[in-house]
Amino acid sequence: MSDVFLPDIARLVDIWDETPDTKTFTVRFRVSKKDEDFDFRPGQFLELSVFGYGEAPFCIASSPTRPQALQTTVRRTGQLTDALHKLGAGAEVGIRGPFGNGFNVEAAYGKNLLFVAGGIGLPPLRSLIWNVLDERSRFGNVTILYGARTPSDLVYKQELDEWAKRSDVEFHVTVDVAQAGWTGKVGVVPLLFKTITFHPESTLAYVCGPPIMIRIVVQDLLTLGFKEEAIISTLERMMQCGIGKCNHCAIGHRYVCRDGPVFNYRRIREMVE
Amino acid sequence: MALAIERKAVTKWVERLLELGEVIAPVRTPCGDLLFSIVHSAEEVVWDSANPLHPPKAFVLPQTDPLVKITRNGQGVELEPIHDGARRFLVNVRSCDAKGIAFLTRMHEMDPADASYLRRSDNLTIISMACISPCAVGFCICADSGPFLNDSYDVQLTDLGETYLAEVGSAKGQAAVAEEPNLFRNATEEEVIRRKNLEAAARNHFGEENCHFGSAMRRISTGRVPDALWEKMSDWCLECGACNFVCPTCYCFSVKDLGGNGTWTRCRLWDSCQYSAFTLEASGHNPRAQRKDRMKRRFFHKVSAQYYARDGMVGCVGCGRCIKVCLGATHMPAVVSAIRKGKWHE
Repeated sequence: MSDVFLPDIARLVDIWDETPDTKTFTVRFRVSKKDEDFDFRPGQFLELSVFGYGEAPFCIASSPTRPQALQTTVRRTGQLTDALHKLGAGAEVGIRGPFGNGFNVEAAYGKNLLFVAGGIGLPPLRSLIWNVLDERSRFGNVTILYGARTPSDLVYKQELDEWAKRSDVEFHVTVDVAQAGWTGKVGVVPLLFKTITFHPESTLAYVCGPPIMIRIVVQDLLTLGFKEEAIISTLERMMQCGIGKCNHCAIGHRYVCRDGPVFNYRRIREMVE
Repeated sequence: MALAIERKAVTKWVERLLELGEVIAPVRTPCGDLLFSIVHSAEEVVWDSANPLHPPKAFVLPQTDPLVKITRNGQGVELEPIHDGARRFLVNVRSCDAKGIAFLTRMHEMDPADASYLRRSDNLTIISMACISPCAVGFCICADSGPFLNDSYDVQLTDLGETYLAEVGSAKGQAAVAEEPNLFRNATEEEVIRRKNLEAAARNHFGEENCHFGSAMRRISTGRVPDALWEKMSDWCLECGACNFVCPTCYCFSVKDLGGNGTWTRCRLWDSCQYSAFTLEASGHNPRAQRKDRMKRRFFHKVSAQYYARDGMVGCVGCGRCIKVCLGATHMPAVVSAIRKGKWHE
């Protein structure tokens, strides 16, 4: 029987500014064997401790196909994330996990994949996207649609360029409000639907972003003929323990931390507050 | 196995238990309140008493439960898990509270097992007292948690007047009895029959059952309780969380680092599902911002068939403490009754 609340100590080895309020942290466990043993699926999350401030759940933003750099992307929104943003490279944090079900990558083999991300909703999908691109031949068409409030709110800017240049990926990006120098599309994510061709019967759609965006995108996808089971999202809830005990993230008798956070839309619709 | 111990000899037994570990029992405070507390002499134990307002759950699940000691060292940090393996004896606890601890233990044993809790419960010996005259607010009979127990105790005492019948329900109970074997003798057949008669009489005390979980469970599990009813009931809730904190089966918690200046203790703290911040996310989004949704959550967790299937019992032991503390009268029997009848009193 182990101490389920005892974190493993890890070091921030790299900190990257994504936007004025969002950073990507690369962590490495103090016990290097833990780095090798740390198996996870895209869509799973960590409980990250900032000692003195507690711990909070963050999705794993890196791909299991790139185990050398375990990453999480965090927006500064409260006390803990503010304290995390103030830490420098070399500082030690705590990690418990991975937790949650994650995306079923095998179930997506041979399918066309559509990723729809809004703002800070891209990190969990980025884990899956790189997993897919690193095993590119296993999958059909890959389409990535991404939107943010402004150009400076776009995360992973270098990778977005990389996706845009790849011939085996269809990538479109839009911003709600343009800034000086922006030559791309302006408008909310669903507007990008007009620019692409859909094959709802052979496509899995992964949708992640703010609740309002998810609602609109899911409705559009249903209208386009996507089955509820083919629309996959990750739910966000207040969480404390990550192991289905503290009850903060319960919806009915299901726990977002343990039964989720990845659910298809049919399951989401069936869950009653 | 039924044993018997003379009323006067129980004090001697408790004195022996005090040598073996902490003894927790109902005590009278200087202000006259009754509460479960660590005792230092056998005389402090109050034997003939009502049930204390707070259940003894804090001795397996403290309100502030220290989990990990954290020490900062420059940019680095050292962690040390905190283990509480003290041997404890819970003496003169009522059937409902013994059942409440059994509920909590079952929940914490579920995968992944919670070592912090189980270390305490594994080292706790429960010496319960069957209720021969049930309390005014109790409805344990509806929750199958009393007035007498068939399980969930280590030793169950029944007051037969000059003697206590002592039923041993586990190896831990056997060990506690074996510490003072001379104080115990085998119970006579007549004593066992008297215990059975006392249980039958105690069950009759309740009259008609007053908390019909079954029919409420059917409605709550299938979402057939109208939203308007939740709304009406929750109008009476003051969101104080007292029902959670006095409930022997409530265990929802938050995790926080307490301390400062480079040393902290990561603690598990009781929390309340009735507080709006319970589900408030850092983004500001709150899926249960409305009081009615929070009340629905509480009763779904306690009474739904989905949770009954998981926990093997309703999340209520019928102790009646929520009746005593709820200023809005949205306690368990009132809500169960309203769900059955489909209407709340005006």
